[in-house]
This record gives sequence, C-alpha cells and structure tokens, in this order.
Amino acid sequence: MPDSWQLTNRDHKAAHHELLTLTASSDCSLRTVWLNPSDNQLSVAEMKIAEESFPSLAVHLPETAWDEREIHDMFGWIPTGHPDLRPLIRTPRWPETYLPLRKNQQTPRWLEVEPDLPALKVEGDGVTIMKVGPTHAGIIESGHFIFSLIGENILHLDAHLFQNHRGVEALLEDKTIDKVAPIVTRICAADTVSNQTNWASAVERLVGFTPAPGTVLQRIILLEAERILSHLNDLAQIPAGVGFQVAHQRALAMKESWQRSLELLYGHRFLFDTVHPGWTRSAPADLLLDSLANLHRQWVPWRQLVVGHHGFADRMSGVGRTTLAQIDRFGAQGVAARAAGKTFDARQSTAYYEGFFNGSVTRSAGDVQARFDVRLDEVEASLQIIESAAGQLEIESPTELEFLVPKDLSGRIVTFTESPHGLNSHDVTLVNGIVFRYHIRSATFRNWPLLAQAVADNAVADFPLINKSFELCYSCTDR
Amino acid sequence: MLWLVQFSGIALLFAGSPLLWGVTQSVKAHLQGRRGPSVWQMYRVIAKNLEKETTAPEFSSLIFRLAPSVSMTALTVVLIMIPLSGQAPQGWPDDLLTVFFLLALERFWVGLSGLDSAGTFGGLGASRTSTIGTGIEPALLATFGVLWKVSGATAIEPVSASLKAVPTGVFAWSLAAISFALIVLAELGRMPVDNPDTHLELTMIHEATILENNGRLLALSQFAMTLKLTVMTALGWVIFGPHLASAWANLGLMLVELTGTSAALGWIESRFTKIRYFQLPTYLSIAAGIGMLAFALSSGGFNL
Repeated sequence: MPDSWQLTNRDHKAAHHELLTLTASSDCSLRTVWLNPSDNQLSVAEMKIAEESFPSLAVHLPETAWDEREIHDMFGWIPTGHPDLRPLIRTPRWPETYLPLRKNQQTPRWLEVEPDLPALKVEGDGVTIMKVGPTHAGIIESGHFIFSLIGENILHLDAHLFQNHRGVEALLEDKTIDKVAPIVTRICAADTVSNQTNWASAVERLVGFTPAPGTVLQRIILLEAERILSHLNDLAQIPAGVGFQVAHQRALAMKESWQRSLELLYGHRFLFDTVHPGWTRSAPADLLLDSLANLHRQWVPWRQLVVGHHGFADRMSGVGRTTLAQIDRFGAQGVAARAAGKTFDARQSTAYYEGFFNGSVTRSAGDVQARFDVRLDEVEASLQIIESAAGQLEIESPTELEFLVPKDLSGRIVTFTESPHGLNSHDVTLVNGIVFRYHIRSATFRNWPLLAQAVADNAVADFPLINKSFELCYSCTDR
Repeated sequence: MLWLVQFSGIALLFAGSPLLWGVTQSVKAHLQGRRGPSVWQMYRVIAKNLEKETTAPEFSSLIFRLAPSVSMTALTVVLIMIPLSGQAPQGWPDDLLTVFFLLALERFWVGLSGLDSAGTFGGLGASRTSTIGTGIEPALLATFGVLWKVSGATAIEPVSASLKAVPTGVFAWSLAAISFALIVLAELGRMPVDNPDTHLELTMIHEATILENNGRLLALSQFAMTLKLTVMTALGWVIFGPHLASAWANLGLMLVELTGTSAALGWIESRFTKIRYFQLPTYLSIAAGIGMLAFALSSGGFNL
C-alpha cells in the first residue's frame, strides 16, 4: 500500500512536473521540490524519516534511484523497496560507521582494501567484461566503466562515477554566508555560473532582495557565455569521437579564443567568482559585442565545415538513440532531453529571461546527430541573447543596489537555472546565517543513468562518440 | 650497378621510414591549423622509448615479447624483396606470394600479441585486426593475381608495360591500383579504417594490440608501424607507378613518390572521418570486388 509520500510524488510526475531536488537532511527530513513548467509554481512534499528507513520512490520514479542510493550512502537510511541498493558513492574504504552527511562525523581511518564496488554485469557464453578507467588515456575526469560486451556490441554498461569524494556538500555545511561562494564556484568548471547564480539568488530571495535590472542583464550574459563555452567544448569533442580531427582542432581553437575573450571581459577563463549575492561582475557592452563578432567570424565557416560533411553525418545518425519515453522515465534534462523532443528548458521558467528567451531548441531523433544539432542551434541562440542583453545594458543605469545580509538569516529555499548541461537546482538551508544543509542536484546527475541506456545495443567502438554527445560532467556529480 | 641501387634504396627507405611518418603528421597538423611537432618527431619518440625500461603484463608469454621483433623482421624482409628501382638485380628473391604471406605473418603476430597481452583491449584489437585481415587478404590476392596474369610469373615488377598488350589493360591497371590503394589504407590502419592518432581506447584497432607495449617493445612496434607505411606504399608504386630508364632515376622518383604519398595520406586523414566498424566489411568487399574485376579484365576475360 503506497503511502502519501509515494502518492504525492507520483502525482507530480504524472502531471509532468519537473523534479528539482530530493533532499535528505540530518534532521531526519526528506523533501522533494517539483516545478510545474506551465505556471512555474513550486510544490513541496515532505516526510519525516522514522526507524532509519523510508519508502522508496525508485520503482515508480526511476529518476530518484540515484538520489535514494546517495541518501543511503551518506546518511545510512534505507529506502525500503529500492531495487538496487549497491553503493553509489560509498567506497569499501569507508568504515561502516562512517556516514559523511550526518552531523558530528569524525574523519575515520580509511580501510586498506581494494576500492572496487560490486558491478552489475551480464553473465553467459561469449560475454566479455571490459573495464575502462577510472584513469583514462585522454585528459578527462575519473569515471570507471564496466561494459558487458557480446562481440563488438554493448549489452550493458555499469558506470561507477563519484570517484573523487571531494565532500562538496559536507564542506559547505557550517559555513557562514560569505564563505560559501568560493566553494560553490568550484563545484564544476563547466557549470560554474549556473551554480553561482543559484547560490546568489538563494541568498537574495531569502533576504527579500531584487537585483537591479543591470545586474540581471549581466547574469544573463554570463549564463549564456558559459553555455557557449561549454557547447563549444562539446561540439569540439564529438568530431574527435569519429577521428574528424580538423573539425575537432578548429573548434578547440574557437573555444580557446572565446576563453581569452572571457578572461579579458571578466578576469577568468572559466568565469569563476563572477556572480555573488547582491552583485555581479560586469563587462562593458562594447567589448562584449567585439568578442561576439570575433567568435561569429570563426563560427560561420566551422559550422559549414561540420554540417556539410557526409562521413561525419553518417557516423552520427542513428547512433546512441534515446526515446522521449526514456527521457521522461529517467527525468533527463538539457541538450540530451531536447534532442529527443522534450521541450522543457529551465530558462522558460526563470524570471530573469523574460523577453530574452525565444523558446527551446528541439530535435526528435534522440541520436548523436540530434544532440550535436541542438548544440549548434543553442550556441547561435545564446549569441543572440547576449547581443540583445548587451544592447540593453546601455539603457539600464549601472547603479548597484545596496545589499545587506542580516546576520541571523534563516530559511530554506530551492533555486534553479538552466546550466549548459540542463536543469541544475540547489536546495539551501540556512540557520542563523550558517549553512545547515546544501544539496546540489545537477543536470549531469540526472542524465548519467540515461547514458547507460543509450549505449546498450550500440557498437562498443561508438561509445566514445555517444559519450561525447552527452558530454556529462563528473565533478558535477562528485560528492 | 643494380645491386648498388637496390642496397642504397633499402638503406634509405629503412632509415627514412619514421621521417615519412613525420611528413604525414606535419601535413595533418598543418591542415588542422596547428604547428605540430617536427617531421623528425618519430625518431625522438623511438629513441626515447628505447631508453625506457621494458615490462610485460603479468600473464603474457614469450609471444608478447617476440611479436614486435617478428613484425619488424617480416617487414624488413618485404622491404628488401621489393625491387626499388623497378628492376630486380639478377636472381633477386622478389616473389609476390612470399610478400603476401610475410604480410599475413606480420598481421597474425600482431593479433597474437594483442591476445597474449591478456587485456580486454588487446583481445578486442586482435579480434578487429583479424576481422579486417580476412577482408584484406582476398583483395590483396586479387591485385597480385593481376600481376601474375599479365607477366606469367609471381614476381614484383611494374605492371603497366605488360598490361599494354591486354586490350582491357588500362581498365585493369586502374582498377587494380584503386583496389590496392583501398587495401593499403586498411592494412596500414589509416583513415577511414582506423585512426592512428586516437587516444580513445574503445575505437582502436591496431593501436589496441600494442597498448600494453612499452620501452623497447613499443619502440620496435612503432618502428614497424612506420616501416609498414613505407613498405606498402613502395610496393604500390613499384607495381603501378611510372618508370624511368635509369635505375638511379627510378630510385629518386621513388623517394619523391613516397614523400608525396605520405603527404597525401595526411590530406586524406584530414578530409575523412573513420567509418563505422560494422561498415568495414562493406569497405573491404568493395576493395576485393574491384580487385577481382581487375583480375578478370587483365586476363582478357571481358571484351569491353
């Protein structure tokens, strides 16, 4: 008999709401926040954990499967009825009593054992198990992949991420408000502005402060500049997956030139420390427009090169296919979701973007080609958004409003933005000006399980291509 | 005189193989908008690896340690066998079938060492190498058959002159040359069959078989890789290429041809993407089909 916790959440899903966060806190509370994309209203569902366990949502809402495993690893509470409770983040090196996100945990002595976690493999005649990583041949982050292969085909992929144990959420706890931004900035280099904006607007909304229109414009520009940077990187990596080196290197050169522009404009190649509660680093409109023109000059011939390439198109089409039904089932977000026909883009639900966002870019095929094409069009849309926002900068007076944070600021709030990888939300709880709990549910955390689905039945030689078309970030999910 | 030309040719090509590799890499870097390393880079890489400590995977056997030497030897013998000036000295061992089997031997050992490295990637590489091998061999035999048909012997020699006697000779010549070119790309593991520059271990073919090699073994494998490039292109030019009257001039022409081919390879590699692994059989059967057609035409079987 499903209880109200399960029913409420299932109702939200049935109504096509988007799950922003599923957060457990050390006060034994469990909370989901759902966004209704049609009226942008948030709804909260809560429950108290009793007897160290809670009813699992994972069977009906597979998108919560990882959240619940994470809660199990970090707090030790058991989601009853969860179909796969293998450790997600916990390593065999942690003593059993070590539950990192419960309060008053001492750093234990790590056990001297092998770090491998139990893997889900296919068994049978002719099945080969292939392990890749966590150290890879290229300069990429650490992920351990266990493939079950039959000949050249992938039967199943078990991805073991969460290798670095940076302890980001634990690190944020008990910090005063002024100490949070430097950490939030560094959660992930690809989605840093999105993370910074989430934190800044969390504090601002708890204070009841509305940023000046000029500040909002600068934030839009920063968010879009970050999207362009991230998409340029992904667009450069996809051709590398099929050995299209010319397109790969030229896109990398384009990305480098964009990063140099960003350094000139904002003093940082990755846009770290640009958005803060109450204020935002700003760039002059004329310099911005120069950088846009410079990028555009390189962009047009590059786009012609990749769009007209027959061999490249042949490699991308029909590979790594995902269906809209899978996207919905796994709650996937961002480029990967829109490439399969999902229309949701968190920018449509963000007040900042009113008048700037002209609808989401979608495709329906759900393959590598579609994900590549969505990025192509989104880069161009972002260029336009920056251009029109920069145009308005001159109209808006640059006055910064005075922003004072009360010393005893308390409250709980969920904020979200569309990061380059998709919907990225933060659940922030402040008690007397100190962080009590900070939970990050990034877009890549939502999309990783879908990647495993998308590669099944494909040739293992196509995995790098499919993987790069998702280009999921590891540090976004690292806990 | 011919002996001297032949021996100088062998020495030049053997020593110059890594340079030819460097030419390809430089062209590629240039087309990608990079400066790239110098054309001599492969010599430095080989020298560096020769100095490094050599280790072998725990469960590997003698095969793993012997394989690079076997492929090096097989390819060197093939190089020696090719009459580099288009004309073999008296009594020179230039038997095509021996060349064919030496190339097969090399491929077999590379695959074997991949298996023997006891890793999944090595196994995958071995499986892929031998799969491609089954496509390469019939195509190679067909083009070699053209030679046998027109000259009546299985010796490596320029085919163009003898084909003039056959009514459909020009067709046969061009089809055989196309087939051979397609096969060379596959045999060398170049685009669109394999990407020699990739670091993506899951997509590798040849590279996967030598993934566990290091130190001296890696240096030998790398040298063998560049030697194979030289040997296959030299073989193609001797058989299908133009020829001058003087043996020395022919050798000079060969050097120009090889440099040109290396540069062209760089261009091809920049223009094409790697084709899907599951489409390789199509690619290889096209090569074999063209080869068979050339064979039929060279024997005057079709009246066009």
